[in-house]
Amino acid sequence: MTIAYAADIRGFDPAFATDLRTGKIISLVYDNLVRFDADMNLAPAIAHNWSVNNTGRIYTFNIRNNVRFHDGTSLTINDITKSFHRILDPKISSPQTWLLERIAGAKDFMTGKADHVRGLQIANDSSLVVELDEAFAPFIQYLAMPAAAIINSNGIESLSTVPAGSGPWRLETWARDGELLFSRNKDYWDTPPITDNLRIRILSEVMTQSAEFETGSLDILEVPQGEIEYWRQYNYDQLEVEELNIWYIGMNCSRPPFDDLRLRQAMNYSIDREKIIHILLNGSAALASGPVPPQLLSEVTELRYEYNPSRAIQLLKEAGFGNSLQTEIYVAGGSGMFHVLEALQSDWAAVGITVEIKRSDWNVFKTAVREGKPDLYYLDWFADYPDGENFLYPLFYSTESMKNRNRFSDPDIDAIIIEIQGLPNNAKRQRLIADANKLIVDAAPWVFLWHSKTIYLTQQWIKGFQPSPIFNANRYMNISKMAPE
Amino acid sequence: MIQYFLKRLLQAIPVLLGVIIITFVLMYIIPGDPVVSMVGERYSEETVQRLRQELHLDDPLPLQFLRYVGNVLQGNFGNSFITGEPVAALIIEKFPNTMMLAITAMFFAILIGLTAGIMSSVHPGSFMDRGIMVLALAGISAPVFWVGLILVLVVGVMLQWLPPTGFGGIEYLILPALTLGLRSAAYLARLTRATMLEVLSHDYIRTARSKGLPEWKVFIKHAFPNTLIPVITIIGTDFGSYLSGAVLTESIFGWPGIGRLALEAIMKRDFPVIQGTVLFMAIMFVLMNVLVDLLYGVVDPRIRLERSGK
Repeated sequence: MTIAYAADIRGFDPAFATDLRTGKIISLVYDNLVRFDADMNLAPAIAHNWSVNNTGRIYTFNIRNNVRFHDGTSLTINDITKSFHRILDPKISSPQTWLLERIAGAKDFMTGKADHVRGLQIANDSSLVVELDEAFAPFIQYLAMPAAAIINSNGIESLSTVPAGSGPWRLETWARDGELLFSRNKDYWDTPPITDNLRIRILSEVMTQSAEFETGSLDILEVPQGEIEYWRQYNYDQLEVEELNIWYIGMNCSRPPFDDLRLRQAMNYSIDREKIIHILLNGSAALASGPVPPQLLSEVTELRYEYNPSRAIQLLKEAGFGNSLQTEIYVAGGSGMFHVLEALQSDWAAVGITVEIKRSDWNVFKTAVREGKPDLYYLDWFADYPDGENFLYPLFYSTESMKNRNRFSDPDIDAIIIEIQGLPNNAKRQRLIADANKLIVDAAPWVFLWHSKTIYLTQQWIKGFQPSPIFNANRYMNISKMAPE
Repeated sequence: MIQYFLKRLLQAIPVLLGVIIITFVLMYIIPGDPVVSMVGERYSEETVQRLRQELHLDDPLPLQFLRYVGNVLQGNFGNSFITGEPVAALIIEKFPNTMMLAITAMFFAILIGLTAGIMSSVHPGSFMDRGIMVLALAGISAPVFWVGLILVLVVGVMLQWLPPTGFGGIEYLILPALTLGLRSAAYLARLTRATMLEVLSHDYIRTARSKGLPEWKVFIKHAFPNTLIPVITIIGTDFGSYLSGAVLTESIFGWPGIGRLALEAIMKRDFPVIQGTVLFMAIMFVLMNVLVDLLYGVVDPRIRLERSGK
């Protein structure tokens, strides 16, 4: 089976799996203690079961004894603790330490004050006890992330080019910028993949991918935004996935003019998102009524900012801006959404806000956002794990937002987010996520745009493809390929 | 000859040093930060600081520069910030692919360009001459990107004669090589025609004809060799640019060459890889120029004599 990626991966070291594509590949060749299934539920993996004590601080994992790495050695509990230590090891310099630094004693280990992480305890050959500093519900989901993959202690030296995992696919060859070829792991502890091979070709051009799909050389195509209309005329099997994401415009809340709530709300009221979704995005997105995607909320959030230019003009007048506001929006050149920005620009111009579009490459853009330069910027956020908390803490918690994003800070919202992190998944937690979502909508630190969908086309000889909204849950296990007619 | 060759190589050293300095300064002037490409979406400030320190990004620029030049002199081009792989290994991995594409592209360019140029010059002003020259003009004017996409669409998708894109056997090589080589072919055709017409007006051609030599012999034996100096110049410089990678062609056809390696590195501000690939490209250019100089001597004995001081 053959699919395509637009760019190559960084390598096979989980410690440096910071981008989406590398993370996806890591999930094919490695296993974690737990993983997400296609329906976004947490499922057992190397741990066949686990429990949390009533303080929410101590996790006990019972480990399978039939897991083998690709080189044939058995996965032991030592491999697990070594893998976790490696992420936290200051000598490795992994940017992903945030996944595990809440384990008791992790900080001491990271600063060299301790030679091991106190909270990682081997109870016996088949059970691992993990003690956290304090109750932290997302932790178990963190363990399903690529950087928490379990590495074969024998293969650490060459991780940048050769994976050392136990996952359902084995790497056969990697021609950098050319293709990755995997074969099914026949000895997988769970049911192995159905197809024999998985080929991932690196095709950076959208048109090239389409050409390859049209000639039947690609089995699955992720339809690019601009080609949705084109592919409608053909009779391919089509799958639409409502991704866990949010597209937004960040407004710098720490300085004028966007420290004014009325202006931020006016920015939201003045744009006709439905028209943009319908005409420019070919319907491949759903209107966002807040930062948290609806799939992660237990109740429907009402749409607070419907298209209402006269309300926007009134708010601008109240705030004393009149017709004279001039500002800039930063956008990364590769986003392929320039026409969307122009539509927004014209909507804002209609209520008297002049917005100049500043386009730069991704690196310059991210550096500028990090340094707090832009008044406005256009960006998206895709879920790491299926939890409303993942759309709250990294984006709106004061210390995160003030350092890396749009400089928003609200102590009430901070308090709720921290409470959410401490609670197990129950009705109260769901209630709090909905509350935080609503408070953020009221405070309007962003212009909330939409949650985008991804459309996949499959050749008629491909059966069983069920894409998941979680990036690392797609492991191509149940896909079968019949002979093309 | 060898002495001349060595002298030319020595002359290249200041050029390469200049390339290193300019690339180095440019990398630090342009906005952007390599660490941003490394850390992903969630990271702590400590991680950023630690990485900056590890990569010596906060050291004074002159110190960073001296360290780099010192390493290069020892044959160490550093490791990629992003993948951790040695830069030299990345270039060595990609170079055979680039070489293969460059040679094939140049083969097409010479075959098509010289044939068309000579045919054109046989009967200047004829229907065939005009037809060839219009095609050559189109070939020079058409953007590489467009030519590539049209070839993918027509040959790959509609006719399905060859795989549209990809990497592997000879069937994958033809379309990208044609895309890359067509512009040189067009240029060579025009140049060959013009030089041939100029040469054909010389006295020795009249002498050759008056001796009663058949026309093809006049063209191939007496006229054509005298057009080679400008032709070799173009082939040499174009080949040098092919060897330093062809970003557009490689991107369209998913060809894993030096060009894409450099582009990706620039996008991610992967400084060691940018430095390494640019330096490599410069070396390729310099080598090709020296080679072209040497070839002048081969095709024109007068140049050989001048160099030996006789």
